[in-house]
Amino acid sequence: MSNIAGKAYAMNVITPLRWYTAWITKLTFWIAAKRPSTTLGLQTLSLIHYARWVVIRSDQFPRVSEKQPREELKYNYMMFFSNFNGSWDQYVDSFSSAIPAGLNMFWVLNIKYPRSVPMLPFHRYITSNQIWTDHYYNAYPMAASNDVKAAQRVGNGLLGFIDDTKNSSPDDFQRKYNELLLTLQHDVSRMGPNPIVSLSAWAVEKRLRDEHQTAGAQTHG
Amino acid sequence: MANQMGNAYALTLLCPIRHGVPEQCPEGLAGQLCADCVRYLLQDVMRVSEDSPMARVPNTYLSRFYILDDVPYQGKPAVLEHLKSNYLVFSANFHGDLDTWLTGMWSAIQPEIRDLLQYCFGFDTVHDCASFITWIRKCQVETTFFFDGSTDEPLAVQLKNLYLKQEFSDFVFANQGNSPEAIQANFREFVARTQPGNIDGPTWKPGAYSLDNVVTGLKAREAGGQ
Repeated sequence: MSNIAGKAYAMNVITPLRWYTAWITKLTFWIAAKRPSTTLGLQTLSLIHYARWVVIRSDQFPRVSEKQPREELKYNYMMFFSNFNGSWDQYVDSFSSAIPAGLNMFWVLNIKYPRSVPMLPFHRYITSNQIWTDHYYNAYPMAASNDVKAAQRVGNGLLGFIDDTKNSSPDDFQRKYNELLLTLQHDVSRMGPNPIVSLSAWAVEKRLRDEHQTAGAQTHG
Repeated sequence: MANQMGNAYALTLLCPIRHGVPEQCPEGLAGQLCADCVRYLLQDVMRVSEDSPMARVPNTYLSRFYILDDVPYQGKPAVLEHLKSNYLVFSANFHGDLDTWLTGMWSAIQPEIRDLLQYCFGFDTVHDCASFITWIRKCQVETTFFFDGSTDEPLAVQLKNLYLKQEFSDFVFANQGNSPEAIQANFREFVARTQPGNIDGPTWKPGAYSLDNVVTGLKAREAGGQ
């Protein structure tokens, strides 16, 4: 069990809200989607790969068989999923510090939401409503979200540079190469595995790797 | 539709898990509940990183599984209430449309899907890819708000760009102070080796978490005489 896959952390939070405030919250999200200026704060948190909110009523819990009992919940529930880089504390504090108003806008109508500032009650609120991930997969565990965005600029820059310097003299090539480096100076850097941020997650991964190697050796032996 | 932003799709599933003890369960789990069997498969059987089954599902950026045992109680004066079933919650971010992605998932990891979802209500109606997609759509819940903080590119393009970023960073460091002629000659070798215009390879392997084995497609190409 791990919320961590390389440099990404998976956060799952579920919180209740009353049916009539759920409608207001949905309207807030709808306006936020229509007016990107309302989520500018969220966009400044470049440590996020993807995040989503799902507001669900009792009768929207999937019922796929007659044998399955129907849910009878009084509250609506807001499910939050985030994929971000860094530790839990860094993320929650970033949210709380950078976009306290944005956080309040989305969560303020949830039952017993303490507001994003001060931080300690907010930490307690998230902790008590967080659910641990049982399996987390990340296609590029060595890359932070900023690496993925930087890599796009490097890839596009290189393709243009190759076309542009096909017939260049060495001096012309050097001039354009320097221009390329100036443009990409924030994007050129090496990536690698994360320092260990969770000893338990590391221990689980090591055990699974070892077991897998042992099973592979037995199969081939 | 809030599930999609550009070409990025946010899939959220709540798959209801059957109650009671299953007829068949993993070794050593006799007498355990269906939810326990699912949890065991997720935590102890499924491999991680590049060995995760999800690494074989095309165009998958990130995905997760967790079991929702119950809804959290907020303390008085909030109402204490309970779910009637446990749910296997699955969340994925991928590139493209849902049916194409689910078809790729079914083709790539059908045995793992069957192992895991056999404990869910209604999965006995799944016999092929079409019935799998039908069942998944019944378990899907609509995203209310989706935030995409990444690039809107297919996974293969992202992985190729990450490979190029890594290799080009090495190139820049190694060529500091070299003459224009040397840098130009070395860059030609760099382009021949890394093939920036070739998405298929060399590139990074999905899910790989070690610099020792992250590059894929290089040796085969070298063996081909390039």
